[in-house]
Amino acid sequence: MGLSFHEKSLWLMLVSLLAVFGFYFAVALPSAQVMGANVLPNQVGLFAAAIVVLVVMQVVGHVVIALVDRRTATDERDRLIELKGTRNASYVLASGVFFALCTALLVPGNFAFTHVLLGSWVAAQLVEIASQLYLQRRGA
Amino acid sequence: MGKAGGGLTNDIRTLRAHHGEMTQQQLADLIGVTRQTVNAIEGNKYSPSLEVAFRIARVFKVPMEQVFQYD
Repeated sequence: MGLSFHEKSLWLMLVSLLAVFGFYFAVALPSAQVMGANVLPNQVGLFAAAIVVLVVMQVVGHVVIALVDRRTATDERDRLIELKGTRNASYVLASGVFFALCTALLVPGNFAFTHVLLGSWVAAQLVEIASQLYLQRRGA
Repeated sequence: MGKAGGGLTNDIRTLRAHHGEMTQQQLADLIGVTRQTVNAIEGNKYSPSLEVAFRIARVFKVPMEQVFQYD
């Protein structure tokens, strides 16, 4: 069974998120132990660069996918699957916000808080995309 | 609309075969959904909305109960 435009788009978002934020956390987390408990300007720059790379990867990727597969329309099943994915992601994000608030109270400095919050957002995005990919294959 | 329940079945595959070996993509284009959705409906993995169900019946020019059955 071939992949629809929507599924290709989901795979692109999954791979780009894993690649960009995998790199970001691999670089940012070890440096925090050396440099202290607050976010430093170079780490903000690293984060901004990660966002730019993520946006460029997704825009270029979607253009390529759209050129290869002209059937870009979504239907009622795609929309239902999106809603279910968003619901699953909301549980992860809500839990992450709670843990981030606990971190803000318990851990001095802003590095841990901001990165628990960012990690939660990334995890929520991954759960949303993975849920959609699963439902695309297994029904809705 | 959603995941097909245990009792809902359909004869879309047979109806396609009787309409000049219509492909899933051709049916999808006629009823305004993706080929993957037609495949999911045929495999009883997804129950379509009433609107899509009526469109399918209209394409094959048969009553709805000849396309979908609920046991």
